[in-house]
Order: sequence, then C-alpha cells, then structure tokens
Amino acid sequence: MIRIAHLVDDTNPGGVTRYLDFLSTDPRFGFAAHEVIAVEKNRAGAVQTDAHIIVSHLAVSWRGLPGLMALRARHAGTPLVHVEHSYSEGFVARNVNARRRFGTLLSAAYAMFDRIVAVSQTQGEWLVRRGLVSDEALAVIPPCVDLSAFRALPAPDGPVRTVAALGRFHAQKGFDLLIRAMRASSRQDLRLVLIGDGPDRDALVALADGDPRISFAPFAADPAAALAQADAVAMPSRWEPFGLVALEARAAGRPVLVANVDGLTDQARDGAIAVAAPTVEAWTTALDSLGIADDAAPRATGREEAAALQWMALAADVLAPQAEGRAAA
Amino acid sequence: MPRASIVVPAYNAEATLDETLRSLVAQSFRDLEIVVVDDGSSDRTPAIARSIGDPRIRLVQQPNRGLAGARNSGIHAAKGEFVGFCDADDLWRPTKLARHVAHLDASPQVGLSYSGSELIDADGRSTGLAQRPRLSGVTAAHVFKRNPVGNGSAPVFRRAALDAIAWRPAQETARDWWFDETFRQSEDIECWLRLALTTDWDIAGVPGLLTRYRVAPGGLSAALDRQYDSWERMVAKLTPLAPDFMARHAPAARAYQLRYLARRAVSAGDADAALARLRAAFAASLRPAFEEPVKTGVTAAATLALAALGTGPVDTLRRAAARRTA
Repeated sequence: MIRIAHLVDDTNPGGVTRYLDFLSTDPRFGFAAHEVIAVEKNRAGAVQTDAHIIVSHLAVSWRGLPGLMALRARHAGTPLVHVEHSYSEGFVARNVNARRRFGTLLSAAYAMFDRIVAVSQTQGEWLVRRGLVSDEALAVIPPCVDLSAFRALPAPDGPVRTVAALGRFHAQKGFDLLIRAMRASSRQDLRLVLIGDGPDRDALVALADGDPRISFAPFAADPAAALAQADAVAMPSRWEPFGLVALEARAAGRPVLVANVDGLTDQARDGAIAVAAPTVEAWTTALDSLGIADDAAPRATGREEAAALQWMALAADVLAPQAEGRAAA
Repeated sequence: MPRASIVVPAYNAEATLDETLRSLVAQSFRDLEIVVVDDGSSDRTPAIARSIGDPRIRLVQQPNRGLAGARNSGIHAAKGEFVGFCDADDLWRPTKLARHVAHLDASPQVGLSYSGSELIDADGRSTGLAQRPRLSGVTAAHVFKRNPVGNGSAPVFRRAALDAIAWRPAQETARDWWFDETFRQSEDIECWLRLALTTDWDIAGVPGLLTRYRVAPGGLSAALDRQYDSWERMVAKLTPLAPDFMARHAPAARAYQLRYLARRAVSAGDADAALARLRAAFAASLRPAFEEPVKTGVTAAATLALAALGTGPVDTLRRAAARRTA
C-alpha cells in the first residue's frame, strides 16, 4: 500500500488540522495510508520517514528554508509535494512590502518540491502569474472535511435574522469591517454573532460599541453546531487562500457572503455571494439585501469524493516516474 | 482586436481635444484604439472626435457622470489587453505607448505602468516643471505618500489588473466601476492606492517625461479646501480596508498632502492659505521634513517669503518649490 506522510507545523484547531484529520481517517482516502507528522517550526530537516510520498503542509519562511533543503536531501528519491495553505495574493497585498524578496523565498522553497498544490483555483493562478510555480508543477486541490454533519442541518426557516462570522479575531478575517458595516445597517431585525477568539477581541468589542444587534460567542469546537444557530454566514476576509468556513456554510445550506479575494472568489463561483468591494458601504448593502435563504441551494455535494480523487491522481502522477524506472530496470 | 486602448474622458474639451487626439494617433505603437468618452459635453467635443478621421478612434457618449464615470465607461468599452488614460487636455509623447507596452510585455507582474510628466501651460508650452517620480520598488506606502503615478494621464494598466479592482455598486446596473464615481477629486489616487492595497500587481514606472500634463494657473483657496476634503474622504473610505496600514502611514501622507497644497497656495499667491496648510502639515507629521528636507525647507521658505514680501520676490523660490511635483 502507498504510504503518504503529511508534515504539519500548525497544530492549532484550525482548518489545516481538521483537513488532515479528515484525509488521514476518512475511508474515501483509503487509496493510501496517511500518516500525519507534527514538525517543530522550521525543523523539516529532522523528519524521518520511509513514506512513498511526503506532503508538506508547512508554512514557508526564510528560517525554515534550510530545513526544507535538508528534507529534500534526506529524501532525495521520494516525491515531495507542498500544499500552500498560507500565502495568496491577498496575503501579499496586505502583509508584504518587499514583494520581490518574498517571491525569491517562495521560489527557493518551491524548488525543493516536485509538485505545489494550490488550495484554490484563484491562488493557483496567482502562483503561476507571479512566476512562482510552473503550470506543470501546479495542482489545484481544494481542501475538504467531512461535510455530512453540515448537510444534515435543516435549511434556515424564513428570512435571514442571524448572521454568523466564524474565525480567529485577527485582521485577516476582516471582522472589523463587518462590524462597521453592521453598525451602518438600518436593519433592526438582523443580528450579527462573531464566534471565535484572538488578539483583536478587545478592539472588536470596542468597535461594536454596545450595539445590541452585535454579540460575541466563544470559539466553536463544533462548527456544525455553531452554524445550526445561524441563518447566514459572512466572510469579509482580507486574505483567504481557501476558506473552509464558506464551504461548510454552503454544505449547511446557509447563504454565505464572501469577500472577492483569493479562494473566496472560487467559492463565489460555487454559490457563495461575492461582495465585490472591500468597503463598509458594500458590506452594508450586502447585509441589507440578505433575504430569505434558498432552501433548495445545493449543499456542496461530492466535495469529499472530489478531494480524494484529486489526491489519488496526484499520488499516481508523482509516483509514475518511479514506476517507469522500476519497469525499465 | 487592438493590443492597447487609450481612454480619453472629454467634457467640454473643444479647446484642447484636437491636439490631444493628434498626439494619440501619432503614437509610434500603432496597434491601438482610442476610446473618446464624451461625458455630456455641450460644446463641439463630439464633432472634434469625429473630425480626426482615424478609424481607430471610437466615440462613446453619455450624460455627464464626471471624470471617474467617463473613465469607467471608457474602460467598459475598451478591448485592449492594455488600457491607458489621457485626459482631453493632456498630450502623450509619440513613444509613450510603445514604452509602456514594452514594459508590460517584459514584466508580467506589473499591473500599472507609468512615466514622469512634463508640465505644460494653457498654451501647451513647457513650464520648465516636471513630475519625476520614483520608478521602482514602489510600495503602497509610496503610492499613498508620494503618488508616483502622478496624474491621470500617466498610467497604462494591464487589463487584468484593472479587473482585479472592479466592482459594481448596488445602484449601478449598466457596468462595473473601476474608479469610484462618488469622488469628484482624488479619484486617481483612490484607484492607485486600492490597487496597491488589495492586489499583488506591481506598480512601476518607465524613465522619461512621456506625458505632457496641463496645469491650470492659480487654484483658489476654496478649490484647495475641496481637494483636501476629497483626499480625507479617500483616507476615510480606505481605512476600514487596511486599518493598520492607515494608522501607520496616514499622518505622514497627510503632511505630504498638506505640503503639496501649501505649494499650490504659494503658486496662487495666497499667503494665508499657504501658511495655514504648512502649519497643519508640520502638525500632522514631521516625516516629510526628514524624508525630503530640502523640498520641505524650500516650501517653508517660499511660504514665509510670500507672507512677508508678497508675490514679486518669491518667483524664484516658487519655481524651485514647484519643481518635481507641481
């Protein structure tokens, strides 16, 4: 049986962790044995595995580069795949001043790998456009989790009353923009619930300024249960390579408002509602026009199977040269 | 399909449009279309656009929507892979488009290519003044503080970069917006800064003063106030989009903006307005004094000389003060 080692350095209970839990245990990914290996930050070189394929879910950084080189050297004959969970056009636009230098970092890191996996079509197009990844080396595989609990939720009943925003309270998620938009909204029947925690918590509470329509709830370990309480979901993220919450919200049959950025652009093509401008005004308009949820909305069907098939195809693809090599010998 | 489109917003531009269009049809890069947007003119603007007789000129007519609305209609109609802008009173040097096309072809990551500009007067004569901006390593902070793109007749965009910042407001049914039509001034800088803050397209320049940019004399104090108000509105609009960036750079950018308006007031001979702006600039941030000590000092000297001596003796200083950035 093919063995695939997944390296991860972010073990926070976020999207990456849930993705790896899913693909390493779900029978649909049973075409291979998946092992998740926790790696100390920037220490990929210390990894010892005899897996047939090594998949990095690590965050690329200058300090981690020597580790990636060591990983490559140590596993010279093993196909190496990197999944880019961290970086996207929106990330660079908001966080990187020295863009050329940053491009050099990504190119140097990606050179260690046989394939780079983008988590959304839009992110993949950006990687190619920036000259960071060639078309041949790129694969696009949107992450997934087991969505059955979301699909099992009954569709929201009647007009949208409660809008939920789930995620880390950090500038990335744009919840500050959402609170401003809610405060500017004239709809008194609407409620906004921000579910999560993070460094910006106090600033967000201050921004809500006691508006009775806006409330805060602690981090939800069970996102399906959290979505059960909401009629709609808002994701005004400033960057979002993929955006798992939007996929889950669609599986839950909740209308989901998304910023027109990175992976959320893909999600808008798949049924999320794009808010094209990252302005208070545009988000207020979007909140104001949330009507009655469409109870016949498609529930993101087949996503788990699609992810499994794409991984299977990628595994076959990176192992093919070795198989040919053995056949020739 | 032409490779490049040049959008020419024109509102009651009969005095200058002919010269503008002749500078565009004379571009050495021939594979272009010129989209003249007649923004509800009541003069001979459409007739002049038709009279040039070059089949590459297309005329789009609409009820008046303002400069941003005219540019947006032009972008909507444009078919080129590259889209440049030339206001109906400005001129392009014959090689301008060729230089930008070469730049954009050679640098696939550049989304906005611009050049420096020579400033001309109402009669099309050079004033001896120019905008000579930084051409490389441009960050969002540079765009915000120093606006290297300079003016609305300097940039040539890659279409894909324009479309990355398009949106359609709720009240708009016909087409997208690229420039924000709720602005009557500062619509340029709002667009460039939004591109810098929300996309990964590079903003970079090519050498040379390839645009001839017409500056109107004077500048009434009230007009400068309006200009400053619209600049602050731009800051207010973009702050929720990038709060950390704005907290960090707005004070210095405000100081640069006020210094610029002080210089405009000096040019107009309005000592009181110049002094008020200069005081406000120093109150906002001392960064311009550190980053550009000479220019800040010259502005201050010109302002003080104007206040003390009147307009005559400060002509020399005034020219020095206005050099590089009008």
